Amino acid sequence: MHPILARGGRLGPYVAAWLALGGLIAVLAHLAAGSPWLEALLLSVPLALVYAFICLASYYPCRAAPVSLVSFPRLLVTHFLAAVFSAALWLFLAITWAVTLETLPPFAGVAERLGRLVVVLAVTAVLLYTLAAAIHYVLIAFEEARQRERRHLELEMAAREAELRALRAQVDPHFLFNALHAIASLTTGQPQAARQMCLELADFLRSSLRLGARQQIPLAEELALVERYLAIEQVRFGERLRVARELDEAALGCAVPPLILQPLVENAVTHGIAGLVEGGEVRIAVQRRGERVAITVSNPVDSQAEPPGGEGLGLANVRSRLLAGYGSEALLDVIPGPHEFRVTVELPLVAFAATGPEGA
Amino acid sequence: MRASDPLRTIIVDDEAPARSLLREYLAGREDIQLVGECANGFEAVKAIAELAPDLVLLDVQMPKLDGFEVLELAEREVAVVFITAHEEHAVRAFEVHAVDYLLKPFSQARLEQAIARAKARRSAGTPIPVQQLAAAARPRRGPATRILVREGPAVHVIPTAELDLVEARDDAVILRSRGKLYRKQRTLSEIEAELDPARFVRVHRSFILNVARLARIELYAKDSRIATLQDGTKVPVSRTGYARLRQLL
Repeated sequence: MHPILARGGRLGPYVAAWLALGGLIAVLAHLAAGSPWLEALLLSVPLALVYAFICLASYYPCRAAPVSLVSFPRLLVTHFLAAVFSAALWLFLAITWAVTLETLPPFAGVAERLGRLVVVLAVTAVLLYTLAAAIHYVLIAFEEARQRERRHLELEMAAREAELRALRAQVDPHFLFNALHAIASLTTGQPQAARQMCLELADFLRSSLRLGARQQIPLAEELALVERYLAIEQVRFGERLRVARELDEAALGCAVPPLILQPLVENAVTHGIAGLVEGGEVRIAVQRRGERVAITVSNPVDSQAEPPGGEGLGLANVRSRLLAGYGSEALLDVIPGPHEFRVTVELPLVAFAATGPEGA
Repeated sequence: MRASDPLRTIIVDDEAPARSLLREYLAGREDIQLVGECANGFEAVKAIAELAPDLVLLDVQMPKLDGFEVLELAEREVAVVFITAHEEHAVRAFEVHAVDYLLKPFSQARLEQAIARAKARRSAGTPIPVQQLAAAARPRRGPATRILVREGPAVHVIPTAELDLVEARDDAVILRSRGKLYRKQRTLSEIEAELDPARFVRVHRSFILNVARLARIELYAKDSRIATLQDGTKVPVSRTGYARLRQLL
């Protein structure tokens, strides 16, 4: 697409610049060739406008010979030929125009006066063509850069979306197998408890699927999911798993991405409590801090255990989802102390609105 | 052990429901005598040392010590059935080393099959490659932060930060930490490979020292030096050992 013709707003200034050039040529004709002002203007302004459009055609040699792909001599030859051709065409039109004017009485001798300027005009035409070609090159490069950037942005958006899809929290299979094993263990001795656990597991799976498909859910629903999860783990760990909750009512209506808290609690159980012979207490605290909500999950850790290398998969997942959804508005603070592991998620407090397309 | 004797068996799993399932599966089997149940690795090491079982049904993921560490510390040839839920690394390790294992949840038939295979492996005298299994199951992300030592039925955990000196002695190593000495059935090179090379230097064929404990080094004879630790212990330093130390300091 032509960078001047195809984009509104560029043609106007371009033509204006050429009109100014036409004025300069008129001054030249008046001073150097002795043309009266009217003749000089009548000769030069239409010619400037005509050349303006001839020079627009320099776009095509520019396209055909991109600077990055064509050798310098070839570039030079291409544009030199185009420049000579354009200048010749322009001079031919200029002379034709002068001859036409000559037929009108007030302009007698105009062709002769133009003849004195032919060399200057030829050189000017070549230079103007060169300038036009340079401007076209710049505009083409600008256009390409802009397109590259747009493509890059589009790719980035697509990648971000794919990432979000992939990150859409999944239930850890490890958890499922352990829960199923616990059910198998209970069937003979405590059939009632086994049935209860089956139901709880089904509840948990159903709500994690349902919530996971939504963009945002109220924090209270996420907490309910966490409770279902904990009920199942309670059977596995018995007295080793204790839970303390400290929930600020004012924050429970806040909109949060689904399954943002559950993986943190799951981490606390599988990497904290499961590693302690006597177990310990998982603490879940939700606090309103002005216009923000802080969700903290902490658990005791075995100080003698080998520290896990780097961040676990669950935590990395939560981190990327927060970054994708909130950018710098969200905060994930991980404090791996010697006796306690603590994770805090801080989000802007936005009341959940169930009227959205994905609501309810 | 005669063929007619029942297999003395212990169950090791940190989750009570999982233990009760194993108990239930084994109940009524004449050839199995349940002699112990353990809820963590320390108990398991103690039970293996004290009860000398023929068979251990061993959960891999446990607090304090995992299943591999238990076997490593037990230093005892025993038939083992490994049990795990989903740990990919552990499963790959079992496959690579052709060690039988059970995936939770498992059936009674599958447990009996695994016991039969473990017994066959034991009577064929094929040892379980515990260290290779452990290495494959726990891809190390960095140097060890602790070293485990068994003393009779008790297990000591020595944080490497508190380890002063390791000395090769006979077919084992002596670890010195906080003025106490511990013996471990490993070679000095094996220990060296586990320790952080930025903090521990093999200064001599028979010694690795914690650089942070070094007080001074003195020339003792041509090409040989003596390092003195902060607690006054003297350690010989060979020519290459000194070069390694210089490189680090």
